[in-house]
Amino acid sequence: MNPFKFTHDVRKARIPDHSLCASLTWCAGINAFLFIFFSIIFPGTAMAERYIDIPSSELISVSLKAPAGPLRMGEVPIFTGTITNRSTKSLKGLVVYLSLVSLQPGHEHPVDLEDWSAQKAIRIASLTPGQESDHEWKMRLIKAGPFGAALTIVDPESNQPKISPLAIFSIAPKPTVISGRILPVIIGMPLFLAGLFLVLYRTRR
Amino acid sequence: MSVLATIAKKECREDVFTVRGMGLYLAAALVLSGFGLLLVGNTELSLLDNAQAVYMMAGIILALAGLIAVVRGSDGFAGERDRETLEAVLVTPVSGDGLAFGKLGAIIVSWVLLYLLAIPYIWAVGSSGQNLTSSLLYLFISGTALMIIFGSLMLSLSIKMKSFKGVMSAGLVLLLFAAVPVALGPSLRQSAVGRILDWLNPFAVSMNMLDAVIVDSQSAPGQQFLSLLVLSGYVVIAAWILWKSSRRIEL
Repeated sequence: MNPFKFTHDVRKARIPDHSLCASLTWCAGINAFLFIFFSIIFPGTAMAERYIDIPSSELISVSLKAPAGPLRMGEVPIFTGTITNRSTKSLKGLVVYLSLVSLQPGHEHPVDLEDWSAQKAIRIASLTPGQESDHEWKMRLIKAGPFGAALTIVDPESNQPKISPLAIFSIAPKPTVISGRILPVIIGMPLFLAGLFLVLYRTRR
Repeated sequence: MSVLATIAKKECREDVFTVRGMGLYLAAALVLSGFGLLLVGNTELSLLDNAQAVYMMAGIILALAGLIAVVRGSDGFAGERDRETLEAVLVTPVSGDGLAFGKLGAIIVSWVLLYLLAIPYIWAVGSSGQNLTSSLLYLFISGTALMIIFGSLMLSLSIKMKSFKGVMSAGLVLLLFAAVPVALGPSLRQSAVGRILDWLNPFAVSMNMLDAVIVDSQSAPGQQFLSLLVLSGYVVIAAWILWKSSRRIEL
């Protein structure tokens, strides 16, 4: 028995003959024709028309309001975002997320919200025409300095995200751990105990 | 009761007013000072909220308390056996359980001294923040419960095992397992398995209770009822184990 016979047969079976090639070419041609035909008749269903042409920025308005009054480190103020549907149709599955940037002159940089806010993004299931939706973002103020926050809205049916104007605010520093109070204790306590230890040691001897 | 007090007094004299006893408190003060120095010197730690800093310090204090319970509990009977002084203790007209609970009383006194030592540190770190009084109250409650639990278990081991080194090693391994929640953040224990393990571990129950009280301001007894109940349950079980073990003390 030839052990390579089976392998040889399989290889042979995989080589397409001329009639198969001709059939495939016909199928591809018919498919291309149908695609062009239906694209002209029903433009909304074509693959190339996945996104709406009108930019989302004209359909949605978004704003973010920073809390009034001075802000200090350690506080957890609430920022209010308002999203309004200005179009004539319902918008579905909107994703709204918060961004924060440090505006320290000469050291401007985006801030990772990991420590600042537990909820960075929300999803709005549906927003009917003219409907306004208010959402609150709690932010724990970790660092002092000037900052700017903004909301970005992503509409799954548009390739144009909408960004709110920057809400600019300043955080005043707060000494969370006061070194002037800690230092006497962290130096004084071991010294006091060491003194007591020494007295005890000498008394026992 | 007077027998218990007499034994506790004797143990306290030996444990506190000796060079070895003072050395333990000096080491504890140095650990707390080291953490305080980190809070002042480290940029990231200095940004911590006061409550968060107090919570971290409370975790260190409970770990130190556990260490003291392991050392004192191991020494309770196995140390006396190694020093060949246990025989003299056993011939006194005191029952085994009286002896064991007297030693447990001395361990609790050690905790009270550590707690008094820690108060200035907690005040220095947390007085400009919130929940300082409730932090101190719940730290005392959880620390006392942990000292009774660890102290009882270590004294029970000390009665049963012959070698001080063996008891000490077992105690340190037990403490290491129990103190893992201090090293792991709460977010790593949010799964169902993590929560079950937390309830099975009195150290984790204490830490979670302190987290709720100090950081989340949930200091009303009703809010911590379940944690207090579970800790009380562990205290009763540990005391029962000590009582059962101390009924027959062998040389």
